[in-house]
Amino acid sequence: MPGRQSRRSVLAALAALSLSGVSACTGSGGSQPRTTGKRSKKTTRITFWSALRGSQEVVDEFNRTHDHIQVDFQQVPSGALGGYAKLSNAARAGNAPDVATIEYPQVPGFAIDGVARDITDLVDDGLRDKLLPQALELTTFDRRVFSVPLDIEPMVLHYRKDLFRKYGIDVPTTWDEFEEAALLARKRAPDRHLSLFPTDGMTQFAAFSWQAGARWFDTSQGAWNVSMADAPTRRVARYWQRLADQDLVARFNTDGNRFPAAIGQGRILSRLHGAWDAGAQMNAHPGQAGKWAVAPLPQWDTRRPVSATHGGSTFAVTKDCRNPEAAMEFISWQVTHPDALRARLSSGTSSQFPAAPGLIEVGRKAFDRRYYSGQDIYALFREQAELIDDRWTWGPRMTATQKVMQDGFARAAGGQGTIIDAVREAQRGTLPDLKALGLSTTERSS
Amino acid sequence: MTTTTTGTDTVALPRRTAPLSSADQRRGARRRRLGACGVLMTPFFVLLVTVFLIPVGTAVWLSFFGADQPGLGFGPERTVFVGLRSYAAVLTDPTFLGGLGTVAAYCLFYIPLMVVCALALALLLDSGVVRLRAWAQLALFLPHAVPGIIAAIIWLYLYTPGISPVIELLARGDITVDFLGVHTVLPSIVNIAVWSNLGYNTIIFYAALQAVPREVIEASVVDGAGPVRTALQVKTPLVRSSIVMVAMFTLIWGLQLFTEPMLLGQQTPMINSRFTPSMYIYDAAFNRNNYSLAAAASVILLLFTIALSYGVTRWTNRSAEKQEAAR
Repeated sequence: MPGRQSRRSVLAALAALSLSGVSACTGSGGSQPRTTGKRSKKTTRITFWSALRGSQEVVDEFNRTHDHIQVDFQQVPSGALGGYAKLSNAARAGNAPDVATIEYPQVPGFAIDGVARDITDLVDDGLRDKLLPQALELTTFDRRVFSVPLDIEPMVLHYRKDLFRKYGIDVPTTWDEFEEAALLARKRAPDRHLSLFPTDGMTQFAAFSWQAGARWFDTSQGAWNVSMADAPTRRVARYWQRLADQDLVARFNTDGNRFPAAIGQGRILSRLHGAWDAGAQMNAHPGQAGKWAVAPLPQWDTRRPVSATHGGSTFAVTKDCRNPEAAMEFISWQVTHPDALRARLSSGTSSQFPAAPGLIEVGRKAFDRRYYSGQDIYALFREQAELIDDRWTWGPRMTATQKVMQDGFARAAGGQGTIIDAVREAQRGTLPDLKALGLSTTERSS
Repeated sequence: MTTTTTGTDTVALPRRTAPLSSADQRRGARRRRLGACGVLMTPFFVLLVTVFLIPVGTAVWLSFFGADQPGLGFGPERTVFVGLRSYAAVLTDPTFLGGLGTVAAYCLFYIPLMVVCALALALLLDSGVVRLRAWAQLALFLPHAVPGIIAAIIWLYLYTPGISPVIELLARGDITVDFLGVHTVLPSIVNIAVWSNLGYNTIIFYAALQAVPREVIEASVVDGAGPVRTALQVKTPLVRSSIVMVAMFTLIWGLQLFTEPMLLGQQTPMINSRFTPSMYIYDAAFNRNNYSLAAAASVILLLFTIALSYGVTRWTNRSAEKQEAAR
């Protein structure tokens, strides 16, 4: 089974390589016919690329309810599977789609490359007021907005309610309690682990560090300050290293077959993932209905609770877009209109947490609570989203940074090096990139 | 002596009658020869220019230009001459230097192994010990007919725990091997390379051995050299130039190591996205969207390869001369 997977992934990678070249030539379509006059009767066509599930439903709904703008949707592979390479290549060839989907960590990179257009002037106050400030902050650089957040995903603790009860483990509210719980789980169920340190989990580790107050990248001084191994990150790394060294947490990839298998067999009792994972869990393991619950992220200091995000996407208007106003109208509708969220949720089970607080109620109503035994998880997400630290900034080459760090995590899990070594390596592997891009860089550590 | 005078006379006669035509003939012949040379060489030069010089020129050009993005880089992008900025970035990048270290270790391990094994096989074939020589050659050569990427996929299958029959078989004998572990991943790659290139190089050595004069072999046999001694001390020095050539080609291929680690990297964290310089270049261009960085790294790799090849040739020539002088 893993073999078939691996060969398929090999071939998929090859296919993605060749396709990314081809798609650059075919993806132009929509931007040609455009409205010229202000009140022309002509329909504006815009193209939209996304890897998000439910996008087709959203686009259909938009096209049904709008006459002057029609959207041509193209499903693209997710960023890691070649979606971002495809977008970059298309932009290089001058035929990027009008609207592209970009996850938070990749926004600054696409902004610097000039793929994502500066849309500061197109984001009116009406839209601005509808979005959670922390979310918009993540797509704003140098006081310029480069993309519009669709969802913001506070990191929460998804845990096996039944097994926690069976082994007498209390839901941890602090990281110290989390460690004790991990110890207890190992003692009472030697074949299980409380949780997992994902070896492909730069985004999880970033969220842990973010919560602890780290600032891997900082642009406040007019230069890119890179300090990935700052004091809060070192603290977080020490913490997880200690847990890993005592085998209190499992260490492997969340990508691949092993993780779903471990969740399915109950060998992992909890996972620290974004709010979206509640819906993904329902899809992947329908048989575990009633066994799961969601709790807030454990805290370092319960008096000053802080949260961070894990996952989430944004929509950017690209440089090749000929009608940014129309593109913005579509984006604005997608992120703030109740019909858009309903259409997206109608595609299946999803627990996406909208970046527009006005839509939370819509999501809450549309969400089927039975899987979580009636727990009002949206109310929890809302509380947690309020606690997101707004000082975090992603770096200009996050995909590359992520690769280097995760290679280090995986090696550390194989007994070579430590978690903090991986972080330091990521910093060393990132700086030459930024310098070669001509960016001003500094390396002060807080 | 008299014949020479008559000879000059007879030659002189037509020269006097048709001095121009003879010169024309010679010129014509030269022109024809030049023409033939031109016709025969043109494809080579056309290819050299289009698939080598132009790409190299483009890479050099690209490497000196980059985006001018002062400060945070969110302003409008301009492409400007940036001098050696990209080169400095590559040479200070520990991941690139680590990649060079990887291929150096790979070459130190792979080249001697390959040369020794291929030569040993060729000597065996040549010595007549091997029966069914043609079949042996075919069997040896077959893996080379398998494209590198397919070979890597086959080996990936054999190396991956859980699906590999080899690992399963070893596990039955209570031997656990992780072919993709920290210390085994490089030997695993070397193994793939040896498997696919051994036969090819054996054939090159075998062909060179065919050219060794039989009298020399006979003389050595008459002088009392056994088959091993004949092979090592008579035949091997005579195919020296082939050995140097094979070592050089293997070195150049080794420096460009890409396919095997790229594919194995999908299964093991021990191979990262910048494992070798070629992978670094690919990563810089297509994952990091930094063409000027990728171009600079390519030029550095090219210069490194040229310098090393030149060094190897010089060194072998010099030691060959020394040997000649010693005789």
